Amino acid sequence: MNVLKETRGEKFFRVLEKNAVPILFLAICAIGIPFSGYSLNYLGQEVITRISRNSFLIIALLVPIMAGMGLNFGMTLGAMAGQIGLIFITDWGIGGIPGMVLAMILSTPISAFLGWMCGKILNMAKGREMVTSYIIGFFINGLYQLIVLYGMGAVIPIKSPALILPRGYGIRNTVNLISLRKSLDNIWAIKVFGLSVPVMTLIVIALLCVFIVWFRKTKLGQDMRAVGQDMEVARAAGIKVEHTRIVSIVISTILAGYGMILYLQNIGTLNTYNSHMQIGMFSIAALLVGGATVNRAGIGNVFLGVTLFHLMFIVSPMAGKNLIGQAQLGEYFRVFVSYGVITIALVLYEVRKRRDKARVGRLLAQDQTDVKEVK
Amino acid sequence: MARLSPSHRRHLFQLAAIVLILLLGVLMFFIGRQHTILLDNKTLEFEGKSYQAFSIVEVAVDRQERLELAARDRDKADVLGQRHVLSVWYTDKAFQEHELKVKFSVPVGQDMVLVSLPALVGGAPESVWLQPYFPPTAVAPPVSEEPVVVDDLGVIPVSF
Repeated sequence: MNVLKETRGEKFFRVLEKNAVPILFLAICAIGIPFSGYSLNYLGQEVITRISRNSFLIIALLVPIMAGMGLNFGMTLGAMAGQIGLIFITDWGIGGIPGMVLAMILSTPISAFLGWMCGKILNMAKGREMVTSYIIGFFINGLYQLIVLYGMGAVIPIKSPALILPRGYGIRNTVNLISLRKSLDNIWAIKVFGLSVPVMTLIVIALLCVFIVWFRKTKLGQDMRAVGQDMEVARAAGIKVEHTRIVSIVISTILAGYGMILYLQNIGTLNTYNSHMQIGMFSIAALLVGGATVNRAGIGNVFLGVTLFHLMFIVSPMAGKNLIGQAQLGEYFRVFVSYGVITIALVLYEVRKRRDKARVGRLLAQDQTDVKEVK
Repeated sequence: MARLSPSHRRHLFQLAAIVLILLLGVLMFFIGRQHTILLDNKTLEFEGKSYQAFSIVEVAVDRQERLELAARDRDKADVLGQRHVLSVWYTDKAFQEHELKVKFSVPVGQDMVLVSLPALVGGAPESVWLQPYFPPTAVAPPVSEEPVVVDDLGVIPVSF
């Protein structure tokens, strides 16, 4: 295979461009940590907590990327299904690990249905999957609010007065998940250098990583990769392209539902009408911070991203306060960065796509020159 | 027996998987159900027999910490699941210390049960020392709205 002849400078800039977002975040964290004044112990504990809390949700994004459907902003659908499962188990008084498992079982058919519906719509909007899934998220959020705010207690039986609004129907703004709080984290938590490590949660996340690695090697995983690379070629090879794309979204949505349950068991309170809205945005931002792109993401990107993104989140308010005397500036900064990183990643993706095309052209020109020289 | 076609076999496996998941859900419902066990150390009269309250008694449900109850005291233990072990440590009139372990099940669909410790130790039947309890709803305080707890990602605006 021919290799494009490049100068060292060109190679260096290509690597720099490929890893621009993680390098940018490393720089922000490296500058911010000393100014924040936080101890390494505190930062380590916070990062461990956030890795165990958020990684599952971010891993849920990997499957649609594999199938070439970009970043699944529709993961909020799964998050809503997970929340519905949690509302039911809280009403029935089921707690601990059985409560979590039951919430997952309840969320699965809802997630699967919403994922199937989302996949069907995305098949009608090929090439514009990200913006379409983003809008589907808003649409289903409306339905979710209708069901939770007006249906529950009126049509869907919910008895617990701790859940129902004083008017007799609708779920309260917050649901206390005290019976579920840290039930997975506390099964097996060990102290390492004074840091509390939730081993069982990390084992669950590791199992999901093993599943993703295994899944890539299965027939369905290979089909997804083929569809992700070129839909027409995949179709010519006999792969059911539309079906494969739907399956990828269904898997992602179901995993997002489970991830939301894991996330909320760590926090211990369900913010009924807002929790799911934050999830899609920060999971995608964290994945992109880890160096993932719209068409390529791996498990390494998940963990690098969640570490760097959350480190920035922890550090920036205090760094802002110590630098300028206003913590509010740090708050604005991290909000700006969350949206900014998604924008940068999308712009870089387009730039890289054009550069890659140009590289292919240069490679072809180089080959033709070489052939002429041989003659 | 006729061989099943691959599609029939697949449907059979899918059906089996759904049934298995449903059974798992039912199992989780029962083993994860939360109950409140009220532990009561009051004198109980039943069919002409009096079960005298202990001046002091220690009690633990499952592996939870011991609760110490004086006469006329009542305490509670929150538990998960239907089956539990109740351990009671008491001193008799001859100042001999005793430990009693009793296994019992909370009736299905019951949120709260009341355990009368004097009746339990006094050898009364289970229907006497274990009774369903319904909290007086009329005097229950209104549930206050929980404060919204989010992690610091909550600062990200998601609607404009």
